[in-house]
Amino acid sequence: MSRMDIKKISLPLIFIIIALFPPFFLSQYWLHVMIISLFYVMMASSWNLIAGFTGQVSFAHAAFSGIGAYASGMLAVNLGVPPWLGILIGTGVAALLGLGLGYLCIRMGGIYLSLTTLGFSEILRIIITNEDKWTRGTMGLQIPGFFSEYSKANYYYLFLVVTIFLLIVIYWIIHSEMGLTFRAVLNDELAASSSGINTIRVRILAFTISSAMAGLAGGLYGHYLMLITPDIPSLGQMFLVLAMAVIGGMGSFIGPIIGSFVLEILSEYIRIYGEYHVLLFGLVALAMARFAPEGLMGIVGKKWRKEWVH
Amino acid sequence: MYLTNGIVIGVINAISAIGVSLIVGIMRVVNFAHGELYIFAGYFSYHLSTSLGVPPLLAMFLSILFIFLIGIGMERTLIRPTYGDEMYSLIITFVLSIVLQNAALLIFGPYPNKPPNLVSGATNIFGLYHYGNQRLLSFFISIGILLFIFYLIKMTWFGKSIRAVSQDREMSSLVGVDHLRVNMLSFGLGAALAGGAGVIIAPIFPVTPTGSTAVSLTAFVVVVLGGMGSLKGCVVGGLMLGIIENLGAAYVSTMYRHIFGFVILILILVFRPWGLYGQKTQ
Amino acid sequence: MGALIEGKGLTKSFGGLTAVKEVDFHLDKGEIIGLIGPNGAGKTTLFNLVSGVFHPDSGKLYFNSKDITILKPFEICRLGIARTFQIVRPFLKMSCFENTLVGIIGRNDKNGGKEERKDEVRTLLKFVGLGNREQTLAKDLTLIEKKRLEMARALATKPKVLLLDEVLAGLNPSEILQALELIEVIRTKLEMTIFWIEHVMGAIMKASDRIIVLDQGEKIKEGKPEEIVYDPRVIEAYLGESDA
Repeated sequence: MSRMDIKKISLPLIFIIIALFPPFFLSQYWLHVMIISLFYVMMASSWNLIAGFTGQVSFAHAAFSGIGAYASGMLAVNLGVPPWLGILIGTGVAALLGLGLGYLCIRMGGIYLSLTTLGFSEILRIIITNEDKWTRGTMGLQIPGFFSEYSKANYYYLFLVVTIFLLIVIYWIIHSEMGLTFRAVLNDELAASSSGINTIRVRILAFTISSAMAGLAGGLYGHYLMLITPDIPSLGQMFLVLAMAVIGGMGSFIGPIIGSFVLEILSEYIRIYGEYHVLLFGLVALAMARFAPEGLMGIVGKKWRKEWVH
Repeated sequence: MYLTNGIVIGVINAISAIGVSLIVGIMRVVNFAHGELYIFAGYFSYHLSTSLGVPPLLAMFLSILFIFLIGIGMERTLIRPTYGDEMYSLIITFVLSIVLQNAALLIFGPYPNKPPNLVSGATNIFGLYHYGNQRLLSFFISIGILLFIFYLIKMTWFGKSIRAVSQDREMSSLVGVDHLRVNMLSFGLGAALAGGAGVIIAPIFPVTPTGSTAVSLTAFVVVVLGGMGSLKGCVVGGLMLGIIENLGAAYVSTMYRHIFGFVILILILVFRPWGLYGQKTQ
Repeated sequence: MGALIEGKGLTKSFGGLTAVKEVDFHLDKGEIIGLIGPNGAGKTTLFNLVSGVFHPDSGKLYFNSKDITILKPFEICRLGIARTFQIVRPFLKMSCFENTLVGIIGRNDKNGGKEERKDEVRTLLKFVGLGNREQTLAKDLTLIEKKRLEMARALATKPKVLLLDEVLAGLNPSEILQALELIEVIRTKLEMTIFWIEHVMGAIMKASDRIIVLDQGEKIKEGKPEEIVYDPRVIEAYLGESDA
């Protein structure tokens, strides 16, 4: 292996090794925060794949996590399907619906696509809220946990493993030829198509993959919380995911990861004073989108580049 | 009676929708914060008239004015720099809407507020049923506003500038239209229309901070249904949606009231994206 | 006959405006055909029809006798028709290397591993004169460099026909000469058939084998450059424009 390769792998490896330790010294509360952060890492990174890399700003991402959670949850409650299987099925359902939605949106540009995904998300939320015979609506549906014995440490490692898996997939996609075609579509869809790129396939692929990931994340989340509500597929959740990606840095690999951890941890501190975190994040996200479109990664990256140059 | 409700709501929808349509047509920006401007206007109207004792009609005018100014402020600080980058303007207005929603929650509190009626009592419609006078008044005020807007767009220099910019930005600046100023004023006007719709409806249906999402989405559905950039479309679309939603809620199911709108939205976007009266573009 | 590209009765309207009306044309292999006409004559629309960006309301398009009338842009590109744009459109946030690589990927042929593609990109970039700008982002290039990049990306798709849309626009005289040299090399070394919209009359008249003239969507004249230059109808079409 060349020196470059060793360097590339060692940094993430160090992070992963560090990540193995939290259950040993963190309190139950902070372990919970870590688990939630990992959920958001999965969500923000996969949203980044469609929005940051192919330019399709979908507002249905939270809805797909809801699909994963409710599909798996209802299967477990009504048919006794074991959670691990339920989650897989939920992921599949989300992928299928993502494929469908992506196909539906194929002839639409930015505005229309966003509106359609918005409509889709709200339709789903309204259905879930109203069909309370099956979903218990806003009261919430109690579903079994992933593990028969409850242990935050176990959930932490579960989330960690799945998150790392998803991140590896995303990393591979971004750095592959597929990723290049994604960015081509992001930069200029017409020019990409005129250069031979099957932009339809690119867009639908991005949609399918990212919604599958959201479904997976949602399924896990549901079986961790053990109580799922229509809050999961809500626009409020969508906003958080979006804010994390935007503030962390859309269009970069690490951006959403940083954004998720930073915002989730911050929100815990802010909650001491009151429910102001949404407002605050919104303002920061606005400032970022306006002045630093590449997010925290962009700011840090620029500083880095300056140091290298001098 | 549901039909009448539908018509009244429909006309108000139309005003709201024109607010969105203007901004989309001129600037290719979907103003997600539309609903928030609407309820802010309602709240201003309420607080001006109840807490400060301003006469209701004046409160309405002032609220609309505030919102107009806020709209201009928004355009200058946030929207203008993102012009041309569709993705960022979407993100910015979406985030803005969440920020405003939360701000409303903090400033105004979570409880519904209702500015006082301008008139009270009910009138007998065609001898069939009684219908609230405030609603009737709202209807006529809305018609008045719509007519005013049509006049503004079709007859005045400002209106012509707007149409020129929306059709061909480059050409219009060559002809001497200050398109940055038109942008700004259109955004303000769009916001003012949202505010207008808000103050008209507030005496009938109280405003709450969370109601803004439904407002925005309804406006979007109307704009898409009627066709982006078409004023006539907004009116027709607004009426249609108002009627369908009310009839649907009455005869089918009240809980799924809003679903009708979304289903229509998606159907149109898939099969006939340019709506009823919009331009068929590439 | 065996024309490489053939268009028959192509018509396209937008709203109330007919941009292209019943246009017939053909390109034979190895030719350079110039497409001229006053502004708004429908030239770029014709290009858009050929490259699949729009589909004609009526009429047919053939490439090597294959009906390509309703194919999508990427399908047409893979068949061998590449284009550049009137307002140059490289992928701004990607490097020159990546831009060119996209063209290779678009070609969709299964041969060639990573190393071979890398070499091909480098060769192409050197060919268009961007050999030392490999890692530069497209948005940091000058206008003529952007045009070179667009050319590299188009050539990466290994086209048989190149559609050039006002490639010389915005270039100063020395840059125009460089561009013409490059086009000549492309034509001879790569045996390219070229369909070319241009307003710089001297250049297009000198280089083309045949000229097609459009005015208000209709083909008003076709022939060798010498025939076109003095044709009264053509002169009228352009004079009419300068009045307006």
